[in-house]
Amino acid sequence: MRDFNGYTGGLLNLDLNNHEIETKNLTLDSITQYIGAFGINCMLLANNLKPKTDPLSPNNVIVIGTGPLVGTLTPGASRTVGTTKFPASNAIASVCGSMSFGMYLKLSGYDNVILSGRSENPIYIEITDEKVEFHDASNLWGRDLIETTDFLWSKYGHCGVIAIGQAGENLVKSSLALIDKTATLGRGGFGAVMGSKRLKAILVKGKKGIKIANPTEFWKLHAKLYDRMRKYPQRKEWQKLGLMKSLPIGMILAAKGEKAKTKQSSERTYLKKLKKRRIACPSCPIGDKDILEIKEGDYSGLVQYTSSVVNAFGLLLLDDISTYNEAVKGFDIINRYGLDALTIIQFLEFCTDLYKKGVLTKENSGLEWKKDYTTLTKLCELIVERKGFGAILAEGWKKLAETFDDVEKDMLVIKGLDQVLEPRWTRLGTMEFEQIVNPKGAHVASGGSPTYFAPGRPLEKFKTHFYRMGIPEPAIQRIYDPPKKEMGLNVGRLTRYAEDWYTVLTNLGICGRAQINRFYSLESVTAFYNAVTGLEASPEDLRKAAERSWNLLKLLNVKEGFSRAADTFPQQWFEPLKFGDMELKFLDFYGGTEITLEIATQLLEDYYDERGWDIKTGIPTEEKFKELGLHEYE
Amino acid sequence: MGEKNWMIITHEERCSGCMICQLRCSYLQEKEFNPTRAFIKLELNKTIPTIIFLDDCTKCGQCAKYCLYDALELKEEAT
Repeated sequence: MRDFNGYTGGLLNLDLNNHEIETKNLTLDSITQYIGAFGINCMLLANNLKPKTDPLSPNNVIVIGTGPLVGTLTPGASRTVGTTKFPASNAIASVCGSMSFGMYLKLSGYDNVILSGRSENPIYIEITDEKVEFHDASNLWGRDLIETTDFLWSKYGHCGVIAIGQAGENLVKSSLALIDKTATLGRGGFGAVMGSKRLKAILVKGKKGIKIANPTEFWKLHAKLYDRMRKYPQRKEWQKLGLMKSLPIGMILAAKGEKAKTKQSSERTYLKKLKKRRIACPSCPIGDKDILEIKEGDYSGLVQYTSSVVNAFGLLLLDDISTYNEAVKGFDIINRYGLDALTIIQFLEFCTDLYKKGVLTKENSGLEWKKDYTTLTKLCELIVERKGFGAILAEGWKKLAETFDDVEKDMLVIKGLDQVLEPRWTRLGTMEFEQIVNPKGAHVASGGSPTYFAPGRPLEKFKTHFYRMGIPEPAIQRIYDPPKKEMGLNVGRLTRYAEDWYTVLTNLGICGRAQINRFYSLESVTAFYNAVTGLEASPEDLRKAAERSWNLLKLLNVKEGFSRAADTFPQQWFEPLKFGDMELKFLDFYGGTEITLEIATQLLEDYYDERGWDIKTGIPTEEKFKELGLHEYE
Repeated sequence: MGEKNWMIITHEERCSGCMICQLRCSYLQEKEFNPTRAFIKLELNKTIPTIIFLDDCTKCGQCAKYCLYDALELKEEAT
């Protein structure tokens, strides 16, 4: 195969049934059609997974991939994408994490890895540029995710590690994996899919260099961008606070009237009592991940790696968790088991409310429910060990709804996953809306746009971002044409382009977080792509590849039975949300229009229309598949 | 920059582990991105990383120039 630069061209096919290893090459056609991690993963999954496969059966397939810019010095390019069928929703989805796995995978000579089958005994897989080896993981099975990663780091030195905890081993549907014990990979049961394959961890540690096709152009582009990043006035603040800067949990607690807890999650608490060191993914000049250390009081000495301190502080939103020590320790327990913190918090909230209503009792649930640290730890244990009531929650929201009469109506669940962003709090931006149309369900990464936590941003300001994201001019006019004029923006139509832009970035391996993606445009990422690979792609080629990838993902889910009926807005969004003394309504981005079911439905149809999908069915049309060259997958 | 004698002072507690220094160094040496070929080594499996310069390091100062976390500080060496 020709030297693609950027791409290693290597594809690793691992059959876990017999521990068989096959190495292949990516084809030029797959690279030009799908351009990178997200798209190539979708294509490989489409070629290797049969519809209606049980996600926890040996027949399910995991594809792990990374992008052509990862491992180069393109700022913020370090993403790893995992694609599989998820047990929480039965949907096929791609999930992303960062840290060092993607870079080390490429240094080992591979862009993508396909994992199929099921190992008879627990294993971990070592991938380097010299060998691929299946190792016995009996000694790690039953150990937590952090211990597992630490063990591998002590044995192999620093390397990229994707690992699961006991939750994944025990096929808990709210399990995930962590990369380098920091970055989450796979809300919705990615951990369980790994566990079903008896795959405790994958480590990558290569030493093959990554070359670039046009160094002169690359360093010219890099110098210009790096200089902008160096001079970015907010850079130091981001490095100081990480996501504390954009997601201050204290603000929510203050709004709730929780003064003491606001202090517990303050900037001062973080900086003086918790922050150990800032960590960044390879090539990232912004760096917003954390190593925390509890410096005094209960659990003193506890060290925690996390994508942000706000993950831990989020536990303070539970009524009876009142100190940062408890929050950090609670989050540590969740991480070690390899559970999804967001879902665990929602389980605790929901079940405690059911306990107050008398639906749950100590007898039928094994717990006297309180939203406190002790109940949280017992809840995690019950779920992970599938003990009693824990076995129900281990199966997820659907099982809980089936077990108790009349509880489903109160669940804030979209396609089997609890909502992540509450639009009655944040108003209706693309991230909130995308939870409805994402094939996977409630999930936020792929819905990012300039509406991200920016209520009140002047309409005209959006235009710069729209151009940056590569939104065509006629589409911009449609985005400025919402169901009611005073709404300003048509979030349904904009969401389509938020997804496309997210997919372009994810394909290349660039971080989608606002503080990195703000520096890029469709034009500039295309220039980086061409300089690295030596290919001559146009911005439209990248956008089209993203659209092709997204439509293929949608098609795979249509085959799983998802259609318009699955894209349903939770009924609760149309009712006021009581929060402290406030009553919050479902409002548009500018806050002047209450979103009714009629408006929401119009936005949904506008989304389908903007995607070129059938409005009645929510499924891509025949013409769209033909246009994208996807008819072979129909 | 390489004409002067530079001293690189390390502040390991500020290192984010972004590996930008290693990626830059390896490119200068090998014309490829490869942290294992850099003259600056980071032991990142520690809470506070260790930063080590190999004997081959030419003290060109590019690692410090590219570090945006102030973990590597460039000073002119006294002659």
